[in-house]
Amino acid sequence: MKLNQWAWLPVAAISTSVYATTYFTTEEAQQAIFPGEKLAPAFVTLTNQQAKKIEDATDVNVRHKDIKVWKASGGGWFILDEVVGKHEFITYAVGLNPDGSVKQIEIVDYRESYGYEVRNPDWRKQFTGKTSAAPLKLEQDIHNISGATLSARHVTDGVKRVLATYAIALK
Amino acid sequence: MSNKNRHMPLPSRLLGCQILLVLGCGLNATAFAEESQFGYVYTTDLLPKGAKEIEQWLTWRNKKIAGVYDQLEGRTEFEYGVSDRLQVALYANYAWARAYHNGPNGATTPPEQFADKNVNADAHWSGKRFVGVSGEAIYRVLSPYTDGVGLAFYVEPTVGPSFRELETKIILQKNFLDDRLTTAFNFTYAPEWRYLDDDSTPSGRSWQHETDINFNAALSYRFAPNWSAGFEFVNEHEYNSYLFKNQSNSGYFFGPTIHYGGKNFFITATFLEQLPWAKAHSDTVEGSLIGGRVFDNDFERYRLRVKAGYYF
Repeated sequence: MKLNQWAWLPVAAISTSVYATTYFTTEEAQQAIFPGEKLAPAFVTLTNQQAKKIEDATDVNVRHKDIKVWKASGGGWFILDEVVGKHEFITYAVGLNPDGSVKQIEIVDYRESYGYEVRNPDWRKQFTGKTSAAPLKLEQDIHNISGATLSARHVTDGVKRVLATYAIALK
Repeated sequence: MSNKNRHMPLPSRLLGCQILLVLGCGLNATAFAEESQFGYVYTTDLLPKGAKEIEQWLTWRNKKIAGVYDQLEGRTEFEYGVSDRLQVALYANYAWARAYHNGPNGATTPPEQFADKNVNADAHWSGKRFVGVSGEAIYRVLSPYTDGVGLAFYVEPTVGPSFRELETKIILQKNFLDDRLTTAFNFTYAPEWRYLDDDSTPSGRSWQHETDINFNAALSYRFAPNWSAGFEFVNEHEYNSYLFKNQSNSGYFFGPTIHYGGKNFFITATFLEQLPWAKAHSDTVEGSLIGGRVFDNDFERYRLRVKAGYYF
């Protein structure tokens, strides 16, 4: 049986990485974004053609073709993704409204010494309502965070990739 | 000075302090994080505003023309992020070296940091000294994460009992593959002054200058979480002038580098070997260029640098 690559999330806090900070399990993140709704797995695997279209549309690399998607009972989508941090991956979740706009993003797992300001609610709120048509560029429509530039840019790129994935493979 | 010291033991106290510092950081279980990704080449990644760091360097220089030659250079540094674009540092530099029949014509020749020492050609020499105190400031103009290319300017004055230096650098950085592949280039211009023997002055000594001009480059790939590895290339030139005149030496070094970066701690190690690409110049000392490698001043066959830092 193939292990789900996200199955480690609930136990990440006791992993060998002594300084990992896990803020949510997958279920907790789902309830934070879609409180009271039921979410059903709707995992998809991108074709090479879809991956290329996403990269062409966003100028962001598609690192995994297996997309971890859940469909919310209210019609929204929950996507769990990861981006490169300074030393380790940053795991984050994007909740989409039924129309494909961003409902909310949450940082699920962050393990860096600096840059944790990407968890700041005001910074994350900038993504609310964004669609795949938005520029989603740091220092353009998304504010940079001084001292957390790498994390802020990669999370911004990640959300842009998630929105393009919705438009190309989920809609 | 140490003509009678036939055994030339390692400077155990100096080495012991360095090891304790490095191990002390490594044993901090809550620690771990990053920054100096290379041993020799600087990047434009700086400390965030208000962040502090203690950094310890140890550089081992080994093997001249023949005989015995070792030099250990230590640097203990405190860094502070004044703003997200400006980082300053203060550090102490100290060195120990030993030499025997290592120089041109088989003469015992102390390395550059001990150039003021008059040593018998057949002496088993060793010495240690406090080299000086350095201040450092790095200002980042462009970030590789928002501007595509990183650009920073570096200035570092050093003042010691018989040594002065003003080291300046232009630092460039370009990242690829989601910032997992880091490349960097440094141009260094560093005039330096040493208080050396000079028969033409009443005191018998005077401040004499030379200029180091270096072109260094490096790349490193983050092959696993927290770990990156790559290569560094160091091209050093020395001139007996402030400009590109009266060149005495040029050396080319290349070797692997490995880096571990954690949340509040990093350690980086780089090993370099001099490549046989050196050529004679107008002011090259006779007998110091052997087999395409130059062994004058601070040029040697092998270098190993280990850097460790702790953030708080």
